[in-house]
Amino acid sequence: MKIQTTDPVAHPERIFYRRCTVDLKTGSIKIEDIPCRNLEDVLGGFGRSFQQLAEREIKTAYCAENPLIVNTGLLTGSSAMTGLRTYFSSYSPIKKSKQGMSAAMWSAGSGKFGAKFKWTGLDELIFENRSEKPVYVLIKETINGPEVELKSADHLLGLSTHKKIMTLHQAHNDAHFAAIGQAGENWQNVTMGSVALSTVNQLKSGDDKLRFAGRGGMGSMMGYKNILALVAQSEDKNLPISDAVKKVHTQVIKGGGAARLQPIKRGGGGGTWAAYDVMQPFNAVPINNYRPQGNDLPEELFRENVEKNYDIQSAACYRCGITCHNYISEKNADGSRGEFIAKFDYEPLNLLGTNIGIHEAGQAGRLIQLCDNYGMDAISLGVTVSYALSYNERHPENLLFNGANFGDYEKICELVILAGEGKLPDIGKGSKYLSELMGETDYAYHIKGLELAAYLPETNPGYCWAIAGGHMSMGSYGTLIREGISDVNSWVKVITEDKLHIVGFDMIGLCKFFDITQGIGTQMVVDCLKSEFDFEIKPEKIKDAVRRSFLLGLALELRQGYTKSEYCLPAEVVNNPNPHIKLPNITNKEFIAALDEKVWNVFDAELLKINLNKI
Amino acid sequence: MQITVSLHGVFRIDRFKQKMLKYREDSSAQKIIDDLKIPVKLLGIILINGTHAKADDILHDGDTLMLLPLLEGG
Repeated sequence: MKIQTTDPVAHPERIFYRRCTVDLKTGSIKIEDIPCRNLEDVLGGFGRSFQQLAEREIKTAYCAENPLIVNTGLLTGSSAMTGLRTYFSSYSPIKKSKQGMSAAMWSAGSGKFGAKFKWTGLDELIFENRSEKPVYVLIKETINGPEVELKSADHLLGLSTHKKIMTLHQAHNDAHFAAIGQAGENWQNVTMGSVALSTVNQLKSGDDKLRFAGRGGMGSMMGYKNILALVAQSEDKNLPISDAVKKVHTQVIKGGGAARLQPIKRGGGGGTWAAYDVMQPFNAVPINNYRPQGNDLPEELFRENVEKNYDIQSAACYRCGITCHNYISEKNADGSRGEFIAKFDYEPLNLLGTNIGIHEAGQAGRLIQLCDNYGMDAISLGVTVSYALSYNERHPENLLFNGANFGDYEKICELVILAGEGKLPDIGKGSKYLSELMGETDYAYHIKGLELAAYLPETNPGYCWAIAGGHMSMGSYGTLIREGISDVNSWVKVITEDKLHIVGFDMIGLCKFFDITQGIGTQMVVDCLKSEFDFEIKPEKIKDAVRRSFLLGLALELRQGYTKSEYCLPAEVVNNPNPHIKLPNITNKEFIAALDEKVWNVFDAELLKINLNKI
Repeated sequence: MQITVSLHGVFRIDRFKQKMLKYREDSSAQKIIDDLKIPVKLLGIILINGTHAKADDILHDGDTLMLLPLLEGG
């Protein structure tokens, strides 16, 4: 970024971001400094990319005119803790309206690729058209500024995400990587392809310890464009951390959002996995396609039970003190750590474990590992598989695929492998596609074509208004369990005021655990911006920009043909309430109708002010 | 009065899963939280007889108090 003002609100045009546009058809590469139009452009991430997507009328994701935008946030690569995010934006091959039009989508991931990308001197990379031959893209820092080069990727074809990255690691020093797996290569049959991002842990250990931009099929979009990987090569630029930022870091680590994620030995709750322990007393852990049965089966994946047979290691992202995730490895006979299996995070663990009837930690871990290596979104894959298993449970006389049932590990492995290799498009294209094909949509757990996260929809009617990943673009998923809020007016406030602000993190380059309860319109973020860029900005102005970006996302959905009737929970939730859930019923028809009306009343008034033609 | 106290997640470490405890009449949930040295920053949910409650809510004989850690995303 080239910054010539201290006031990004009044003078965004005095802030320039460096964009590289690559025409994959002609091979032309153009690098230019672009003046920001508004604070959203300055912040970056989807706040900027959605304005660019709004300028194009795209009906279907797989077309030459649909760009793939890779960018970072203002604080990516800065000294601010968690500033590692990379964003991939495009019209999505998996998230589609009932009219069949692709929705604008972004996906975010950590790892060190984002920081390395920023340190090359680029802020944004836009891929136009598609390459005839498979390529990888080398982005490197030089004394003359960033350079971008397309290179043959024939040698990477058919390799897993991890093997692509390790192969490129051998060829490029001081670099980090973003790669697709076989799933993304088979984009015609897999629309849930993810983008894997390399980590320091991965490159050092040689284990498949990756991070992912999973949601919305951005890996499939990379595959469609015939880009198998991105390489960002630059020197590390770790500037000294100012006292102001150090103070913020202390607040982040001790703050309410991050405290429970800290390792148990540091007095924390032990990572995202600990959600199991909190939700199980309410019978709210998704099991067998989101239908808890009031039993204690989820407890088999409680940490205390898993630790008996497996080695668990707390882990953190590069330069992050939150330590949000865990690695699970085999345990040797002498109790020492054995072979690495997978990263144990709540969402993939549940959706490729308990929710498909797998209650053995090693088996769940191996399924996560398979999913990660083929490069699929663990949420979309898990939910589509759970739909298929549920279908088979309901139709023993007419079994789908290999006849897999809940808990049938070997057969489920086979489904995952076939889907990852592009040989099972009915799974690879997601639960909306499969359920419509089977003519039974009531128990397909997606909203607007995107599979739900591992929080029961019975606990979160806010899912309907999420504009990207269900729990990461509407932070209302814990509201009922955490606070017991069960009146319509409070939920209207939750959705239209408080929890939409979670999307701000996907603008600025920070992870949500920086301050998940407050968003980015805070003094902590203001202090970081002052320290890093000498910006003078009020938290309220940041909040305003986040809200405008959220509303733009909503407006874009409606432009892509979504009707308001598509902003609805899976029908089974409303029509067949689960009696085992020990929480107030906030998804009955009356509640939903009242919520619907009141939420749209708020949003409609603001949507009227958005003119997509003027963006 | 007798209160059934049920702990979840990391709160069980070096404590217990469920226990019947004796307390004076008019004791609050906070009194038990303090006595058990539950870390305030990790305490996310308080339930009395299955209903969301506040730390200063008064308990009654026969109540069940459940204490759960924070729930903040995955």
